Amino acid sequence: MYKEKDLSIDFLGIHLDSPFILSASPSTDELEIAYNGLKAGWAGVILKTTSIEGNPVPLKYPMMSSFATDHRITGLGNIDLISQYHINEIVKRVKALKEAFPDKMIAASIMGSKKEDWQTLVWRLKKAGVDLIECSFSCPQGSMGEAPGRMLAQSIEATEKVTGWVKEAAGDTPVLIKITPQVTDIVEVAKAVKSGGADGITASNTIPSLLGVDIKTFEPYPTLFGKGTYSGLSGPAIKPITLRTIAEIAKNVDITISGNGGAFNWRDAVEFMSVGASNVQFCTLPMHYGFRTIRDLKSGLAHYLMDMGFHSPMDIVGKALPNIKTQEELPSPETKAEINEDKCIGCGLCYAACNDGGHQAIDWDSEKRLPNVNEDKCVGCAMCMQVCPVNAIRMKEKLNSDMHYFAKKE
Amino acid sequence: MEEIEKTFSKEQAIVEAKRCLYCYDAPCQAACPANVPIPEFIQSIRTDNLKGAQEIIREANPLIEICGRVCPEESFCQSACTRAKVDTPIRIRELHRYITDNTNPSENLELKPATKEKVAIIGGGPAGLACAVELRRQGYKPVIFEKKQLGGIPVNEISKIRLPENISQKEVKFIHHNFIYQTKDIKITSLKELNEDFKAVFIATGLPDELNLNIPNTTLKGVYQAREILKKAKVGIKPQIFKRAGVIGGGNVALEVASVLKREYPNSDVEVIYRRSEKELKAFKKEIEEAIDSGVTFQFLAIPKEIKGKERVEGVVVTRAHLGEKDASGRRHPEPIPHSDFFIPLDLIVIAIGQKASNFFPEIEKDERGLIKVNDDMSTNVKGVFAGGDIVKGPSTIVESVAQGKKAAESIVKYMEGEKNV
Ligand SMILES: Cc1cc2nc3c(=O)[nH]c(=O)nc-3n(C[C@H](O)[C@H](O)[C@H](O)COP(=O)(O)O)c2cc1C
Repeated sequence: MYKEKDLSIDFLGIHLDSPFILSASPSTDELEIAYNGLKAGWAGVILKTTSIEGNPVPLKYPMMSSFATDHRITGLGNIDLISQYHINEIVKRVKALKEAFPDKMIAASIMGSKKEDWQTLVWRLKKAGVDLIECSFSCPQGSMGEAPGRMLAQSIEATEKVTGWVKEAAGDTPVLIKITPQVTDIVEVAKAVKSGGADGITASNTIPSLLGVDIKTFEPYPTLFGKGTYSGLSGPAIKPITLRTIAEIAKNVDITISGNGGAFNWRDAVEFMSVGASNVQFCTLPMHYGFRTIRDLKSGLAHYLMDMGFHSPMDIVGKALPNIKTQEELPSPETKAEINEDKCIGCGLCYAACNDGGHQAIDWDSEKRLPNVNEDKCVGCAMCMQVCPVNAIRMKEKLNSDMHYFAKKE
Repeated sequence: MEEIEKTFSKEQAIVEAKRCLYCYDAPCQAACPANVPIPEFIQSIRTDNLKGAQEIIREANPLIEICGRVCPEESFCQSACTRAKVDTPIRIRELHRYITDNTNPSENLELKPATKEKVAIIGGGPAGLACAVELRRQGYKPVIFEKKQLGGIPVNEISKIRLPENISQKEVKFIHHNFIYQTKDIKITSLKELNEDFKAVFIATGLPDELNLNIPNTTLKGVYQAREILKKAKVGIKPQIFKRAGVIGGGNVALEVASVLKREYPNSDVEVIYRRSEKELKAFKKEIEEAIDSGVTFQFLAIPKEIKGKERVEGVVVTRAHLGEKDASGRRHPEPIPHSDFFIPLDLIVIAIGQKASNFFPEIEKDERGLIKVNDDMSTNVKGVFAGGDIVKGPSTIVESVAQGKKAAESIVKYMEGEKNV
């Protein structure tokens, strides 16, 4: 009964009916689960990273842990490895899914330790009719054949070399290299991916982390008989890091980017695209709430595009990039905080923040429970604006008798 | 008279939406007669996709502006909310209302052309409208027969303090404009009166007649039927001025009329006279709260015996009651206490003891209360004739009527398609 906006895009020659893809993860690690995801409306799947037959994948359980804000998961940690299904099984799934969903993107993720392995994986997937191959250079438990926790994408030379092997075997099948943000210079890595010949880059994977420690037993999370290790961190917590990763690559290297890491709704996806991603992969969102989440992703994006007058999702790609500058290139507004007394609920949090962590530029009327900005002292740092629970504070600047506001976005 | 409830601000709505757990196989949705995908629309509020949220609700419930105001959430969605096991249930209806208050139903609407047959719908209340919307969506041409204003009880009776006129009008206009092929200003009381040949008919007349008290002097000047007063109040006609009014009854209509009277004349007294006790009131929590808030008082366990007065009403004699065994309604029955009569002086009496079915549609099978008997698919004993709403289930809620209208539409589509194949 309501018009459906066309959200389709072309991604490295592949038709995607929306920019929303299921990333290599438990949500793509069973044929039936992947099938359900596509049926629910996701545009494509990247089957969880597979390897050559005989490669052992010694999983440890429990593998998941998390931390929450207001009882909602903010960061999800896992000590998972790649799929326990080897390439012989994955090629069958590629064929089955391609047959059931000829209009969806059926991709697969691979990991090898030597040239023959990488190339054999590619050839066998190509033969099965795969649409795209993603290479995991960034499993936080480490790449095969490397020291524990060492990832291929942390070495510029290895990245370029292995990318070259894969692309040589892949021919015209598009190749994505999935990298880690855990490097000194993300731009160098992206350049290596490009010079190695890949068609695109997946930016990025989970981030190595330690999810927590039990302060009575000193056992790290997740705890396996008292012992634990570093987890790959995913979910909303890593979104700002991913945004920066995508933006840096997009500004410096001419390569197609698939955004991944921390997107939890359509707004996040729009942000990823605005800094240069052509599409967005999701893992923690469907793992947490299920495939039904695709509905609001699509509907939210559709209404956003219509409201903004954009024709296609591709119109968003890179829109924010010209506005990302170095710190020294930024203009120098002289702003002051402005408190809306009608909205203020008198919690005093702005006072506490400014008094002990700002410039002591807010006075506190304890009688009325009202904060008051002392404009002589206020430098306009905007810390008070961050802590206000009801968005009653904004920053203002008078320029040529016009008032400019710098308000916090919800 | 102004609407009492205030809509959520954006901050309130987002904070409330974030409390929603987004349950799988959500019990709130299962408890909604119209099966509105509640967790989905709340998720869309969370991402500030209000237009998407509006579309989700409207696909499930064509009367969303009205239900967002007057649905008794404590009986449906909210009563099942999982969050209540953590702290308090999500304020689902108010979130729903927040969406309708901030969106435009016509935006982005796209209907396929109505290329299929006409279907007759008798009655333009919630069940009839819901059926029409659903049929039109499937390409049929709904023709509504309605003598009064389209919209039924929400438009013609529910008071403005709960449902402002512009809201119900907006909804009915939207439906009228987009989904109804034709409206006919004709009262139909028998299938024979349909002047054209319709392959399928949906009867949703509601319960137009009110029950009267079986005591002396109900025709005295100053004695009114409740719905008469509500209907007049709705079009701005004030009830006559009074010093002390008595409303006889204990249902939603009684409480609503009492609130309306009290709010109209705050310096006069309004008393609800009910033969059972507070516990047996057959009204929604909100109606009871509103009556109490507006200053209505209650005379419980009082059975009206005789209205007194010469030229006009002067009061009512009531008999004190105590509660006996449960009766057919499942509530304890009021038993009169001998020699306990007393007189309540009143200069206005409103009778609000319920509605009854009219003696319409002789060709359709009814039960002992005069309500139309239907099968699970809302079909009646006459082929091609379906029925739903209050004329089938007795007085109930708007959302339940919507649900029946939708269900009937589904069955009508099936029936029409089946006919074609024969
Ligand atoms: C349990 C789990 C297993 C994962 N397995 C793989 C994998 O085999 N290969 C891979 O490339 N990424 C894997 N990932 C990473 C996800 O594909 C994704 O890059 C990451 O979770 C960040 O996205 P998100 O914030 O949307 O979850 C895994 C993530 C999780 C939580």
